[in-house]
Amino acid sequence: MYRLLFRTVYTARRSSVSVCEWTVFPKAEDDGKVDNMATRVEEPVVLQRDDGGTIKQQMDVKIEQIIAKPKKVKTDGVKSGKESLLDLLGTMKVDVTNKRKLTNLKPQQNYYTTPKSEQAEVATVEASSKKSETLDPELVSAASAAASTLPNRSQAESALLMKLRQHEAIAEAQKKGNMNNLGEIIADMKVTKLNRRQNTGTYNQIQFDEDGRGYKQGVHLLITLVSYSSARPTLWDMDYANWLSNSINLMPRNGLEEMIQWTKEGKMWQYPINNEIGLEEEASVPFHEHIFLDKHLKEGFPSQGPVRHFMELVVAGLSRNPYLTVQQKREHISWFRDYFQQKEDVLKEADAC
Amino acid sequence: MPETVSLVLEEVSEEALKERITLRKVKASVDMYDQLLQAGTAVSIETTHNLLDLICLYCDREPVEGGGPQTEDTEPGEGAKKRKIRFQQSLVSPKCTWEENNNAERLFNVLPERDTRCYSALIRGMAKHGAYEKAFSMYTGLLNERLKADIHIFNALIISAPNVREKYTERWELINELLTHMKEQEVRPNLLTFNNVLQALKRCGTVAKSKSLQTLYEMKALGIAPSLTTYSYILEIFSRTAGVVQTTSNMLPEIMSELSGKSFTCQGPNDGAFFINTMKMCLESIDLEQGYKIQSLLECGENWRLLGASFHQGIYYGTFFRLLCEREHIDVVLKWYKKLIPTHFYPNSQGLGKLLQALDAGNRLDLLPQIWQDIRTLHHEDKSHLVEELLSLMTRDKHSPEVQESFAACALDVKGVFEIVAHGPPLEWSPSSLKNITSLLLRANKTQQAWEVLQLFKSKNRIPPNQLLDDFLSACHSSGSAERALDLVRLSAAFDLPATAELAKRTLAEFQLTEEQRAILSDLVSVTEFSD
Repeated sequence: MYRLLFRTVYTARRSSVSVCEWTVFPKAEDDGKVDNMATRVEEPVVLQRDDGGTIKQQMDVKIEQIIAKPKKVKTDGVKSGKESLLDLLGTMKVDVTNKRKLTNLKPQQNYYTTPKSEQAEVATVEASSKKSETLDPELVSAASAAASTLPNRSQAESALLMKLRQHEAIAEAQKKGNMNNLGEIIADMKVTKLNRRQNTGTYNQIQFDEDGRGYKQGVHLLITLVSYSSARPTLWDMDYANWLSNSINLMPRNGLEEMIQWTKEGKMWQYPINNEIGLEEEASVPFHEHIFLDKHLKEGFPSQGPVRHFMELVVAGLSRNPYLTVQQKREHISWFRDYFQQKEDVLKEADAC
Repeated sequence: MPETVSLVLEEVSEEALKERITLRKVKASVDMYDQLLQAGTAVSIETTHNLLDLICLYCDREPVEGGGPQTEDTEPGEGAKKRKIRFQQSLVSPKCTWEENNNAERLFNVLPERDTRCYSALIRGMAKHGAYEKAFSMYTGLLNERLKADIHIFNALIISAPNVREKYTERWELINELLTHMKEQEVRPNLLTFNNVLQALKRCGTVAKSKSLQTLYEMKALGIAPSLTTYSYILEIFSRTAGVVQTTSNMLPEIMSELSGKSFTCQGPNDGAFFINTMKMCLESIDLEQGYKIQSLLECGENWRLLGASFHQGIYYGTFFRLLCEREHIDVVLKWYKKLIPTHFYPNSQGLGKLLQALDAGNRLDLLPQIWQDIRTLHHEDKSHLVEELLSLMTRDKHSPEVQESFAACALDVKGVFEIVAHGPPLEWSPSSLKNITSLLLRANKTQQAWEVLQLFKSKNRIPPNQLLDDFLSACHSSGSAERALDLVRLSAAFDLPATAELAKRTLAEFQLTEEQRAILSDLVSVTEFSD
């Protein structure tokens, strides 16, 4: 049993890693194949586990992996989550247990047609939450259940959800494999957010070249300029940086230089291909520290009740999350520990402990 | 196509104001600010600063679609022009686009308390858009309020100093005063300050040389490394104020040896101008060695990027190529020609003309047909002076038969070009070009085509020269076509040329003619003789 678990879980981790890589690589075409691989790997896990309640969670894993493709979904827009799900279904072997899977899948399908409709669905589940598109609605509903014991329901809910969302954001960043360039990511996020609202090519803080190549360098220039002065970049600085980036020629002269530039930016893989690039330190962390997080629930949390249930779900989700480090997972759990301990008196009032 | 962005927040609040500022909607943000003031809500000082920055940067006008104070065009042609203007530093032009009592000033006067950043925004905007006197008066106001100016204020004032004083000495005194103030207020100068000082010194006449050297010493004392722009300004100062070119040639080698092998990052928008200016200087003094040094510096590391867009690359490489054509051996010239064109730049017609001269000097006229092909590829075939020169070079001497053949083929091609009406009116046939083409064809024994070109003389109302007709007659003689000879004489008679008689006599003498032909010819002879 353990060996099987080991193998399946290990391969689950590997498959999720490869999903991660598939999102980074710009020209992934065999998305469907990845899904199939993921499903085939997941199936033994599903078949072996006979705990009925956890089948749903297995679905969540798959679906989380489908969430792992929202980048892809957003970028090419050709494959919606529904289509990929249908691919998944197509490759599933016809089996008795599959019927259960299918019946369990279908109600979940509603949540995952597209990220947008997902948002709509979640909105109906949680009227107060605004942007939980990347959060598992299971988790969201569990959070609402836990928070419902507290008097200020919406506030607690939003606090819990915010925490989950934050970690989701960091996980996304780590998924992109750019943890080292967090500063750049933040700069990226800021700038791209503004982009959505501005005219492209006119008021952009840093001007787009024909296909946006000068963009990143412009950001670099801005960052160096800012390091000149201690204050935040003013409009004058941005204008100057814009002028500078226009007066020099940042374009690559040929395809080879372009590829070099992309490799430096992280848009292209480094050759020879190393599957575990960016994961060197993780290689030394044993898998059981990622998976078996129950031990953190031993002290600090009540052993029964909705809070415990919520925390078990949190732990279950964390155990399947390949993008966070062990330290981050522990911090996650300890945050919840502190949170619930702060609210202990309120919980006692509501007899939830 | 840019999509229009609509504002999200509509209510009167500081958030809405911030949104408008980020979207750079000048008028909307000014309106929102006025509304806020009327409503009595206090606006945070940070937002006020940003608002003033916005208004001053765009001079109270909306940023233009694809334009703006200094933004990029999507079309490379227009962008090149705009960049050209920018290269000449719009700050130097005295044209003032700053309106009287515009929103910036109005808001500024309304502000309850004004700190350095507000002044800074105003002064920078005024200096940028040409209101130099106002900038200085604003600075006096700042001093009166016992505020400290920041580095940007000083930079802006230094660059606008030559615009507010007429005499050279006064200009320098003003700059000196500003620098003293800077020291008193303990504002640390940066690279831009010194570059602005040098740029202003360019317009300060004779004092410039010594002061620029002093500036360099100051920079060294402060530990600020000079950038390419600094060197460029210094070279300009020394080359311009000195009537003799000698002084430049002392400076340039030193500077080049200092800079050799270093790779630079862009520290100012005019860094690329260094290469262009130095290459121009080399061309003026025809200094080939320095030219090579500059080129090697350009190729070092990533320096070539500093040249910027294709427009500036064109200027630089064009100058370099002209320098090469002047002095260098033709083989080296051809080597560079193959290297630079068309990968680095497209030469203009003057450059190609220079190349033709170099080919002539280097006695490689056999390459002329190839160069003609290049001329056609570069679409310079409509430049008449180029075509004329090409034809005259080809016709001038007699060459070996193969070369003549190729010349004749080229001549036919040129003839074809004359008839194209592709872009605008076709080239004008000049007598020399007609003559050249005809003689080229004759030399290659393409008599029929030569005859056709000769007909063109009539249709374009040009007179064929005597020599040409003589040559033609000899050609007819060698090919043995008496009929053609007769036609030739008739043609010259139609033009009423004095040489007709000679031609007729020659024909009578040299050719085997029928009686009829003899009769016609004798008539022509008598006609022309009697008409004298």
